[in-house]
Amino acid sequence: MVSIANLQAEVKKLLQEGKIKYFIGYEKGPGLLARPAFIRKPEDADRLTWSPGCVHNLARFIQDEKRRRLREKNPDLRPIGLMVKGCDSRAINVLLQEKYIERQDVFLLGVSCEALGVVDEAKLNRLLDSARPLKVEFGEKETVKVLTDQGEKEFPAAEVLADRCLECPANFPVVADVLLGEKIKRTVSRPYQSIAAVEKMTVEEKWQFWQEQFSRCLRCYACRSVCPMCYCDECVADSIAYAVTAETTAEEKAQRARWVKRNPEPAENIFYHLVRAIHLAGRCVDCGECERVCPVGLPLRLLNKKLEKEAKELFGYEVGFDPNLPPLISCFRDNDPQDFIR
Amino acid sequence: MKRTGVFVCHCGINIAGTVDVKKVAAELAKHPGVAHAEDYVYMCSDPGQNLIIKAIKEKNLDSVVVACCSPNLHETTFRNAAKLAGLNPYRCEIANIREQCSWVHREMSRATPKAIRITRSAVERVKRNEALEAVSVPVTKRALVIGGGIAGIQAALDLGNAGYEVVLVEKSPSIGGHMSQLSETFPTLDCSQCILTPKMVEVSKHPKIKLMAYSEVQEVSGYVGNFKVKILKKPTYVDPDKCTLCDECTKVCPVVVPNEFDTGLTGRRAIYIPFPQAIPATYTLDDKACPGMFDTAIACGKCADVCKPGAINFDMKPEIVEVDVGAIIVATGYDLYDKALMAEYGYGKYPDVLDGLQFERLLSASGPTRGRLLRPSDKKEPKEVVFIQCVGSRDPELHWPYCSKICCMYTAKHAMLYKHHVHDGQAYVFYIDIRSGGKNYEEFVHRAVEEDGVLYLRGKVSRVFENNGRLIVWGVDTLTGKQVEIAADMVVLAMAIRPSRGTEELAKKLKIALDKDGFLAEAHPKLRPVESMTSGIFLAGAAQAPKDIPEAVGQASGAAAKAIAILSQDRLFHSPTVARVLRNLCTGCAMCVNVCPYEAISLKEGKAEVNEILCEGCGTCSATCYRNAIQVKNLTPLHVQEMIIASLGG
Amino acid sequence: MSQEFEPKIMAFICKWCTSAGADLAGVSRMEYPPNVIPIQVMCSGSISPLYVFSALSQGADGVLVSGCHPGDCHYMKGNYFARRRLALVKKLLEYIGLEPERFQMSWVSATEGVKFTQIIKDLVKELKPLGPQTKLRRNP
Repeated sequence: MVSIANLQAEVKKLLQEGKIKYFIGYEKGPGLLARPAFIRKPEDADRLTWSPGCVHNLARFIQDEKRRRLREKNPDLRPIGLMVKGCDSRAINVLLQEKYIERQDVFLLGVSCEALGVVDEAKLNRLLDSARPLKVEFGEKETVKVLTDQGEKEFPAAEVLADRCLECPANFPVVADVLLGEKIKRTVSRPYQSIAAVEKMTVEEKWQFWQEQFSRCLRCYACRSVCPMCYCDECVADSIAYAVTAETTAEEKAQRARWVKRNPEPAENIFYHLVRAIHLAGRCVDCGECERVCPVGLPLRLLNKKLEKEAKELFGYEVGFDPNLPPLISCFRDNDPQDFIR
Repeated sequence: MKRTGVFVCHCGINIAGTVDVKKVAAELAKHPGVAHAEDYVYMCSDPGQNLIIKAIKEKNLDSVVVACCSPNLHETTFRNAAKLAGLNPYRCEIANIREQCSWVHREMSRATPKAIRITRSAVERVKRNEALEAVSVPVTKRALVIGGGIAGIQAALDLGNAGYEVVLVEKSPSIGGHMSQLSETFPTLDCSQCILTPKMVEVSKHPKIKLMAYSEVQEVSGYVGNFKVKILKKPTYVDPDKCTLCDECTKVCPVVVPNEFDTGLTGRRAIYIPFPQAIPATYTLDDKACPGMFDTAIACGKCADVCKPGAINFDMKPEIVEVDVGAIIVATGYDLYDKALMAEYGYGKYPDVLDGLQFERLLSASGPTRGRLLRPSDKKEPKEVVFIQCVGSRDPELHWPYCSKICCMYTAKHAMLYKHHVHDGQAYVFYIDIRSGGKNYEEFVHRAVEEDGVLYLRGKVSRVFENNGRLIVWGVDTLTGKQVEIAADMVVLAMAIRPSRGTEELAKKLKIALDKDGFLAEAHPKLRPVESMTSGIFLAGAAQAPKDIPEAVGQASGAAAKAIAILSQDRLFHSPTVARVLRNLCTGCAMCVNVCPYEAISLKEGKAEVNEILCEGCGTCSATCYRNAIQVKNLTPLHVQEMIIASLGG
Repeated sequence: MSQEFEPKIMAFICKWCTSAGADLAGVSRMEYPPNVIPIQVMCSGSISPLYVFSALSQGADGVLVSGCHPGDCHYMKGNYFARRRLALVKKLLEYIGLEPERFQMSWVSATEGVKFTQIIKDLVKELKPLGPQTKLRRNP
């Protein structure tokens, strides 16, 4: 069990000793879910919490810090403290692989997902029916306890967890400086169950399914904004910001290919999502944030999960476990499959 | 507004027979940015080229597309023509409408639209082409040759004789390599040392060659024309300038270790000269063998006591020598396959089961038996000898799939020389095939069979074991289908040729690749056999693949010629269509660094940086970069995108 | 009367092997249908997934990427990177419901004019029954 008091004490100590610049964790949110908390003063550490409502991937906020450092003349180079679940920690490993950060840039407080994951808000709301949730906690024996205005309810974790948690290859931090609570490991029997249905479809069924999905895309780019891997200053799939710095010349801007049009037409939306999916192959840690934040409910995880599976099956590549591995498409094996090549 | 000129070639009827060239020119004239379009019967002819030059000048064209044959044929022609007209040559592109259009289609109604698309695509490309100038760097006019076997010796001599300084690095105390161990050489049977030692002496006396024996390459940085090499000079503890080769030291040295030169058939002292003709002609104190040097740090000092000139210096230290070179030739040669892995033939178990090099030493006049063929176990003359070919070679299941190439010939030589030594003896050779492709090679094998009565048995040997003091060889003769059993006095194994020990580590230091069998990989199996993939590093001898002496020498001269082609220039010029980094977009993820086959990209201050001399412009980096932050000049993603649109649009 | 559908194929071919093989097909006066528009690149390793998506978005009915056989790459290993990267592209395109025939890869050496000819013939034959590719095609 992770003791919240320990978590708060640990962070308080880190801040008092000045070992970290600030700490990013979770605090109680307005509803069911926790929200990211930026703790700068030791006394604020008391706000920190840990519950099945801590869904966000906090590795996302590293980009903000990195940009800040590049902007500032004399940046504070102390590490930032970060609370990491399994998926957050794997995102850190990918960022290390891509040299986006150095290991000493972050101080990691690792937590295992005790009831095997975090909740899916929609699932929980369905089960709660009219009851209004006030607080969500880890229960005993793989359950999730919810305190509502109509009393306390307890559900088996499998019923209320986010889909991605049910397929998660590591519900424990794979890298951490301090581990809070114990490292709880479990195995997943059907790691790619969510994509099985689409995989089974015929070519035309697949197309019908995805066409319907992509046609709803608003191109709000929430999926991109929330993704810890989407740290490019300029997105090739949507080169709206040709000016990346003040020095970018008009000539440089003119040299950029405009691959995708901005208007949310189906063909453009598909192009955008294809590029996003392929650029996340071997990098996506399936934190599920893109899907969670999508205002129109596109099943974006299904794209990323498919390529995660292919990377594993075709190339034996698992994402986010080894920070020293070269990224997926920057290496090869002599015997990579080529049965699709004439 | 771009002003592109389009020139459509008829190529007689080669193009015009299937493609409506007038229509292509007319359509292209309407294409945005095209200021001039015309067709002509032979664009590559003088009048054709003049047409282009005239149009560039008169119409003030800023770029040119010639729709004609494959760019492999006339790209240079037309780029030169453009240059004559004052245009940057990289502002000229070729649309291949012959090999990839008119010649492979029959219907004009369909070949013409395709030719139009191909030409439009080239126009869209050339419109975005930058005017580029070839990049250049100065050249250090000195070469490094690694390995002092016959290949390295030849390469060093060729380079030195051409007037270039050479540093020749040899790992062991003497140059000469395996060739110095051989008795006679096929197919002429001339004495190996007799033809080798004059070359060794020439190396030692050559004013341009700096010989560094007992030395190893430790670190290599830089690139073609500008390598920086750190060489570790191991201490010999003997001052070569003082040593008079009196040999008094070996008489008093109490330590005996196996003699490498005699392949372990004899012993040598801890202080030794590898063989009498060794170059450099000096003694070496082997600090791994001398117990005083290694274990107690107190040498017994007997050698120093008897050394009248005082050449022995126990305080000698390893030394790092740094040299700048413009080109490197790797000639690290071969070793024989690890015999321990051939247990079924009893190697190591029976003293009279030998490998080919050991047999060479037994045959050699300077060998352990002074040229008398006596078997190691009891110093008796073997009356029946079985030679087994393809031991460890051509055996993809258990050992190596490749053919070691020289064994057929040297086994024939061994069997023949054996007969010359033991007239009443019988030689048997087990073989899979006889591969005797080479000048006078086939005749040589025939001579072994016909004049010397060597008995060739086609088949493999399954086992060699001892019985009553004889070596029983079990094999099968696949031509008769019968089992064969031979009671032999000696068995000689033609072990597979392997890259010499240390090749892999050296390849890493040089950043050159190995092939699947561990030999040094050439840049192209047919067309660039003496070049490595790294520009400025060349390969010679058996380090690249098993080869015999004439081939090794030939490749060495080839490698030297390639090196001279670099060293003879004051500056190296390089195609400017190389990768460029858009620093604003680069996040320093180093994926381009990982994929570059030429180590041309490195990270500098967190951003990728391209060495334009090393980059060959393949573009693998650009396809790997998520951000399009690295692009090949004149074939950027924007170029390709516009080409796609032009190819498919309309 | 409607004409038979003629697919448009975008072929990205590497300079050293496939383009040379296609040139050989020409020199040998082999014949294949004119449905393929080639773009010569230096190496199959330079083919970005974006190029494939872009060709489909521009209305290609089929896309072919062809390079040197493994082990023969002029640049030693570009084709290995292409193989890995484009295997993922192929899986992704098929997963969203694009017909597998529409994106293909081949290894064609400089001596394989016959093979290149056959591949184009086969591609055209496979793409014809599928009709025009409209799924990823951008609105004109």
